[in-house]
Amino acid sequence: MGAKLLEAPIDVYRFEPGRDAAPRYERYTLTVEPHTPVLTALLKIRAEMDPSLTLRYSCRSSICGSCAMQINSKSRLACQTPIGPEIERHGRLVVEPMRNQPVLRDLVVDQAPFWRQYDRIEPHLKLDPRHPMPEGKPNPMSPEEVARFYETPRCIACAACFSACPAVEADPDFPGPMALAKLYRFVVDPRDQAHQDRLVRIQTGGLWLCLRCHLCTEACPKDVRPSERIRDLKELAIAAQGGTEPGSRHAIGFKENIRERGLLQEMKLVRQTEGLAGLVGQAGQGLRMRRKKPEITKKPRAIEGLDQLQTLYRELDHPAEGEP
Amino acid sequence: MRRHEVIVVGAGLAGQRAALAAVEAGRDVAVVSKLHPLRSHSGAAQGGINAAVGAEDSVDTHIYDTVKGSDYLGDQDAIEFFCREAGPTVVEMEHFGTIFSRAPDGSLARRPFGGAGFPRTIYAADRTGLALLQAIWERLATDASRFTLYQEWDLTRIVVREGKVQGIVAFDRKTGLFEGIAAPAVVVATGPSGRIYARTTNAHSCTGDGVAAAYEAGALVKDMEFVQFHPTALPESGILITEGARGEGGILKNAQGERFMSKYAPHVLELASRDVVSRAIATEVAEGRGFEGGFVHLELMHLGKERIESRLQEICDFCRNFSGIDPVTQPIPVYPAQHYMMGGIGTNAKGATNVPGLFAAGEAACVSIHGANRLGGNSLLETLVFGKQAGIAAAAYAQQSSDRPVVTDADVNASQVPIRAMMARSDGEDPSKLRAEMQATMDRYAGIYRTEADMLEGIRRIRALKARYANVRIVDRSQVYNLNLTDALEVGHMLDLAEVIVVGAYARTESRGAHFRIDYPKRDDARWMRHTLARKSAEGPELSYSPVAYTRWEPKERVY
Repeated sequence: MGAKLLEAPIDVYRFEPGRDAAPRYERYTLTVEPHTPVLTALLKIRAEMDPSLTLRYSCRSSICGSCAMQINSKSRLACQTPIGPEIERHGRLVVEPMRNQPVLRDLVVDQAPFWRQYDRIEPHLKLDPRHPMPEGKPNPMSPEEVARFYETPRCIACAACFSACPAVEADPDFPGPMALAKLYRFVVDPRDQAHQDRLVRIQTGGLWLCLRCHLCTEACPKDVRPSERIRDLKELAIAAQGGTEPGSRHAIGFKENIRERGLLQEMKLVRQTEGLAGLVGQAGQGLRMRRKKPEITKKPRAIEGLDQLQTLYRELDHPAEGEP
Repeated sequence: MRRHEVIVVGAGLAGQRAALAAVEAGRDVAVVSKLHPLRSHSGAAQGGINAAVGAEDSVDTHIYDTVKGSDYLGDQDAIEFFCREAGPTVVEMEHFGTIFSRAPDGSLARRPFGGAGFPRTIYAADRTGLALLQAIWERLATDASRFTLYQEWDLTRIVVREGKVQGIVAFDRKTGLFEGIAAPAVVVATGPSGRIYARTTNAHSCTGDGVAAAYEAGALVKDMEFVQFHPTALPESGILITEGARGEGGILKNAQGERFMSKYAPHVLELASRDVVSRAIATEVAEGRGFEGGFVHLELMHLGKERIESRLQEICDFCRNFSGIDPVTQPIPVYPAQHYMMGGIGTNAKGATNVPGLFAAGEAACVSIHGANRLGGNSLLETLVFGKQAGIAAAAYAQQSSDRPVVTDADVNASQVPIRAMMARSDGEDPSKLRAEMQATMDRYAGIYRTEADMLEGIRRIRALKARYANVRIVDRSQVYNLNLTDALEVGHMLDLAEVIVVGAYARTESRGAHFRIDYPKRDDARWMRHTLARKSAEGPELSYSPVAYTRWEPKERVY
C-alpha cells in the first residue's frame, strides 16, 4: 500500500525429470512491493507470464504447509517470505525446490520420504484398554499441562525442517525434526498411554542421530522449535531408560566426565559411549591422537573451583523446594 | 478401473469424518483429494467449535441462536439434531486427541462468538481447525491399511447412469493419467468455493469442484445466493482475522474514531451476526467514514500483550507477517471478504441428495442448518456432525446395494477428450484471465449489497465468460503435475457455480441474512421463506423452491 516499488529479478529452478536433460534456472523480472510475498510473485508469474511453472500452494496464509521451498538457499514458506528483504540481503532471489525429497517437477517435490518418517513414529494416541477415556466427558487437563504442548501443535507439516536437516540427508534412518517433534507431542500428552514404549523405541529409532545443529529450528515457520523438542525427548528417554545407546551413553558420560573433573576425559568418554569393544575398535585413532597430543590419554587434573561446579550439578539434579 | 464400496471426495474434516464412519462400518473406502489431507482448508478455521456444554447454557439456546442467525431459513429439525450432537462430537474429538485450550479447572475453555447467547465456542487457541484436522487424521490414519488414499488426485466428474451413482473419474496429478473409480456410493466433501470471488478468505484450492461435479451429474444445489462475507479480513490479501478477536474483546472503529457498531447492533455491538457486522463496515466505508484505502480498524491493543499473544497467536503472526502490523500496539485494518457458502449440494440430515448413491457433507453441502447466514463456530461442528452422518448413510447404502457399478472407458473419455482438445488448441482463452474476470464480476455484482440491475449485469457477464470458456486453452502440455490443466478445470467448475449464485440472487426479491437487496430491503416470509433449488440444464440453472422445515421457532424480526 503505497510502498516504493521494486524491480525484482527472480531466478526459478525449472526441471521435469524424464523430459528435461538437466535442471535450468529461468529468470522472471517483476515489479512488486517490497513486502510482496514470494508466493504472490510466483502466482503472478503463473497467471501472467508462464502457466507451466509448477509449485504447491493453497492457503497463502502459512497454515496449510504447502509452499515450503528453498528461497536463497533457506527452507521457507513462500507465502510468508517477503521479497524486499531477500533482495536487499542477498542481492538476488533464487527459488528452488526443497531438499531431501526428489523433485517431481520444478518446485514440487515427492514428499513420500517425509510422510514415511511421520508415519513411522505412530502419530496417534495410543490407549490402554485398562484405562478407558472418561465416558461422555472430556479428559480433564490443566492449562499448565496444555502449555507443555504449546508449540508442537502449531506444526503444519510443511517439511521445511526436513529439507534443512543434514542428518536427514546423511541417514535415511533419522526420522527428521518434524516426526520427532510430533513424537514429543504424544510423549507429553497425558492421554497417551505408551510413553515408556515410545521412548524406549525411539532410542534405537534414530533419536540420537540428531546433530544438534538447530537448522530445523531456524527453518520452522511456526516456531515449533523442533531441535528443542528433540532435546526434550532425549532427556525424557534417558529418564525413562538410562543410557542404552551410544548416543544416550555419550550424553550421560559427558555429563559425568565434567562432574568428576570439570574437563572432558576423551578416552574415558569413548569407553563410556562405545563400550570396551568400541574402545578397541577406535584404538588406531586413539594411538594417532596420542602421538599428536600425549596428554589426551592421561586423566586430567581437576579444574579450579570444581566444588562450585559440583554444587551446580547437585542443584540441577535435585532442585531445592520452591525452585521453578 | 478401480473399485471400492464408498468413495469420499475431499479430505478435510467432513470428508475424513465421513471416511472414518464408513471405515468403521466395515466398508472398502477410497479417499480422493487434491491436497494431502493435512493441507485441507479445514485447517485454516481459527475461532472454534460451538457446543452448549456450560452450566448456564443450553442446547435449546444454541438451537434458537442458530435458527435466528439463519434468518429463519435454516431447517429447524436439522438444526435441533445438529445442536444435540454438538456436545458428544466435541467430546469425541477430545478423545481422538484434539488439544483444546483449557479453563483453570481443567474443563474445555469457551469464548463468546457473534450471534450466540452464551460463551459457547470451544477452541484451541486460534487454530481450532488445525487442531481438529490433526486429530481426525491421526485417528483415521491410525491404520492406513483400512482405506485407500488417492492423494493429489483431481475430480473431473461423478458418473451417474440410470439414475444411480456409478463412481467418479479423476486424474493423478503426478502422472496426468485419468482413471475411473467405481463405487455405488460417493460422498462429496470438497469444501468451499470461495475463489469464485476475488476478495476471499478462502485458500486457492477452494474452487467448488465437488459441488460443480454433483450439479453436472444432476444433483440439486440449494440456496447458493447466500454468500457469507466475513467482517474482518486483511484488506489487501483477504487473510482472515478470526471472529475470536472480537470474542476476546476486540472493537471496531471508523476513521472518525467512532465505535460504529453501536448504530447497527446497540445490544451486542461487535458480536452481532456476521451479515450485520459486514454490512455495517461496508456502509461506513461507502459513506466516507472509512480510512483511506477503504477499511475500518479492529483494535485489540486494550486487551494487553499477554492475552493477545496467548489466545490470538496465529493472528499476531498473520498481522506481523502479512501486513506489517503489530496488533499489540496498532489497530488492524479490516474489510469484509467472502468467507463461506451457506448454499451447496442439497442434502437431508443424513447427507443424502436427490441422486441415489450421492451424498454430501460440510461446506460443499446444504442441509440446511445455516439458512441465510451461518454463525461463527457452527461450521467446524457441521463438518463433523454431518460428515459422520453422510459416512454412515453412504456405508449403509453401499452395503445394501446389489448393483455392480461401472465406470466405462467412455466415461473416462468424456473427461479426457475435452481436455485433449484444450491442449491441442493453438489459440484460445487463458484460464487465469477468465478466472480474474469472473472474480471481479462476482465482487462487483454479487457482493454484500445487491440490486436487480447489478444482478442482471452479473448474469450477463458470467454467461459471456462461460461462452468464452468453451474455447479455453491449456498451454502446458506436460503430463506431470500440470497445474495449467487444474486451472482450466477449476475455472470451469467455478463459472457454473457463479451462474447459480447470480441467477438465484436475481430471483430472490427480498433481503434475508447475507442476501441483501437494496431494492427489496425487507425479509418477505410470505413469499420467500423457502429454499432455492437449482438444477443444471442446457439453458443454465433451472430454479425451483422447497419449503423450510420448522418445528418450534416462529419467525421474528432479527435484532442484535
